[in-house]
Amino acid sequence: MLFSSIPFFYYFLPSVLIAYYLAPKPAKNMVLLIASLVFYGWGEPVYVFLMVGTIVMAYGFGLLIEKMTSSFGKKISLGVSVAISLGILGYFKYADFFITNVNRVTGLTIPLLRVVLPIGISFYTFQLISYLIDVYRGTVAAQKSVIKLATYITMFPQLIAGPIVRYADVERQLSSREITFSKIAYGIRRFVLGLGKKILIANVLGEFCSQFHATADKSVLFFWAYAIAVSLQIYFDFSGYSDMAIGLGSMLGFEFMENFNYPFISKSITEFWRRWHMSLGTWFRDYVYIPLGGSRCSLKRNIFNIFVVWMLTGLWHGAEWNFVIWGLYFGILLMIEKVFLLKWLEKHKVFGHVYVLMLVVFSFILFDVVDLSQVVVYVQAMLGMQAFPMISETTMYYLNSYLLVFVVALIGATPLPKYVVEKVKENTIIRRCIEAIEPIFMIALILLCTGYLVDGSFNPFLYFRF
Amino acid sequence: MEKERKALLYSLMVAVIVFGLTVICWLKPADDFSATERRKLEQFPEISVASIFNGNFMEKFETYTLDQFPLRDEFRSIKAAFHKYAFGQMDNNGIYIADGSVSEMDAEISETALQRAKNKFTSIYNAYIAGSDVKVYMSVIPDKNYFLAEENGYLAYDYEELYAYVQENLDFAEYIEIRDLLEIEDYYRTDTHWKQENIVDVVQRLGDKMGTQLMASYEQKTVANPFYGVYYGQLALPIEPDTVTYLDTDVFKDCVIYDHENQKNIPMYDLELAAGRDAYEMFLSGSLSVITIENPNATTEKELVIFRDSFGSSLSPLLVEGYQKITVLDVRYLNEKMIGNFVEFSNQDVLFIYSTSVLNNESSFR
Repeated sequence: MLFSSIPFFYYFLPSVLIAYYLAPKPAKNMVLLIASLVFYGWGEPVYVFLMVGTIVMAYGFGLLIEKMTSSFGKKISLGVSVAISLGILGYFKYADFFITNVNRVTGLTIPLLRVVLPIGISFYTFQLISYLIDVYRGTVAAQKSVIKLATYITMFPQLIAGPIVRYADVERQLSSREITFSKIAYGIRRFVLGLGKKILIANVLGEFCSQFHATADKSVLFFWAYAIAVSLQIYFDFSGYSDMAIGLGSMLGFEFMENFNYPFISKSITEFWRRWHMSLGTWFRDYVYIPLGGSRCSLKRNIFNIFVVWMLTGLWHGAEWNFVIWGLYFGILLMIEKVFLLKWLEKHKVFGHVYVLMLVVFSFILFDVVDLSQVVVYVQAMLGMQAFPMISETTMYYLNSYLLVFVVALIGATPLPKYVVEKVKENTIIRRCIEAIEPIFMIALILLCTGYLVDGSFNPFLYFRF
Repeated sequence: MEKERKALLYSLMVAVIVFGLTVICWLKPADDFSATERRKLEQFPEISVASIFNGNFMEKFETYTLDQFPLRDEFRSIKAAFHKYAFGQMDNNGIYIADGSVSEMDAEISETALQRAKNKFTSIYNAYIAGSDVKVYMSVIPDKNYFLAEENGYLAYDYEELYAYVQENLDFAEYIEIRDLLEIEDYYRTDTHWKQENIVDVVQRLGDKMGTQLMASYEQKTVANPFYGVYYGQLALPIEPDTVTYLDTDVFKDCVIYDHENQKNIPMYDLELAAGRDAYEMFLSGSLSVITIENPNATTEKELVIFRDSFGSSLSPLLVEGYQKITVLDVRYLNEKMIGNFVEFSNQDVLFIYSTSVLNNESSFR
């Protein structure tokens, strides 16, 4: 079930909120757990059992790791539990990728498993691993209640698209959390703004990209517009989902970490990754990069560590070579910045902004176009190295038609709107006006998003007979 | 405390709308049919263990919630208005309004579609007509984009290329040009079709070229019900519906019109259908694959065979005066091999008349 869908917004969410708010405190986790299982089962009825099995496994191993008195015993327990978790992820997500490549290299014809990828498996596996490692490190106590652990892992706001919530961050909230009207109002605001980002900007830019793919009348300008559109689309889609997740969490009394912090205003790729998908970046930093030695080692080893982390980051996004290359692309850029470029970029901020935007825009072509040979064509076309005209009638039409959406998206990707609102709010009268208008604005946004969702179902019976 | 009170008020205002709509969603009786989309709407799906585990229930439930959403058309209008006036987008799902008329963009020529049309017509010609004393004519009706798109800044394919293709590749037929007789006002504003009362000059041109005398003296009659054309619902913006006017003459009174598909006689203009979901269906009872119109009062023994699309439904009655018998065939729905069951090709006029929108659509001829 998607957050940006009628069944979620008008059926699931209101029912869950009513049940959740009416339930006595001790029963809230159970309500949330049942709701989360229904939410997950809606899209993956069979894989609910897989997720529950994995949680029970992690619960048992968490207790075992804590109970072990010897370091060796703890290590073995952790190793086995992490291996099982990664084994399940590997089987469902990477088995066919592995077989395809073995077949390609050896000439064998091992049949593909064609397993359907369980939704959200990458997110919940990483959460489980972080829990087990934290128990091993002693930074958190093993959760004695399987209900609470299951509530943490399955929590529907962050289950399928993150942010990757650390157990340590919500451990206390699982036992005791306060639900206030301020939190609910904040949650509503974050959710509705996220919904707007997803439906009004990301989806509309997605339509632009679809028009680009569908037309034969392409041009160099159209390729650039597409690359910018797809970058903005991914940002608004993903950050919109994160906003919705954080908002839902807040409505339920939880506080989740932020996942995006205006990444497009970065002046270096290093900074970009501190602002983009922050929960994934910090996860890899804390559970892979630092354990490997991080930067407190020789330059050679440090470069190796970066290489491993970014190859894994790429693979985490998908079992295709384009994702691996996408990860390595950033890994290489980060290495270059680490060795010499970062200091220079800090002194040349304007160049830094342009440099980041260009490299990020190119990177998202790799993200969007799975066929690597096509990626080369796209990049060549952007650089005028293919036989496309600079501009075409179709390009102008769609640029004209989507111009305002681009403007809104470009401004919305910066902190400018937030800055302006905060600035004008310094005036008491304006602040009161904004506060009075805001709920009406939110209601209008909800109705507008509903209109977009309902319109998506419009399916006229266009029989050419009449 | 003040902050909490404000937050409560804020939350309540939003909750009233969301929960209000939720209650309506849950309680609203399901509609059966969407007039704007001209299709049946999804009903609440059957629940079973199997349908839940194979995902069918969830899939159908999602469609159900969208199909049955309260004030569905009004919500679509909110979207369409925002799309056009706030975002300044020129079309909405490919639908646009220009000069008060609604149309759907068709930006690129489909080589596949044209090839399929050519193959179909050539195959019919070779199977039934080649070597006979039948005179074959071809005419192509421009769709609304021909008049609206380019001059209003919308995308359109090169119509000259399409017309040239037809004339070059279907050279067994004598081509009759009609574009110069048409303008955007000759089409319904909310529909794809042309208006019967505005195509008398087209009919006379066709008659002249095919060597048939047509007096073309008609009485104009108007259907009382408003006509919400196929684009009306798709536009989702306020626009006045059309009015359907049809041309009547005493010649039609004695005509026998037979629907071979349903094996029954039908009226030239079905006024019951005119009051239905699509008033344009009144012309020769809508989409039928084989119709014969016999005119016992004809002053000639000439026969005409028309291969047509829906534009032909309003055109064909106006040719009746010049022929003793007209056979109207829609080969999109009639197997080519069956044509011989209805027509023996000998000394007739044969007219292939199709709109550009049908010729450029890959699903028209397979």
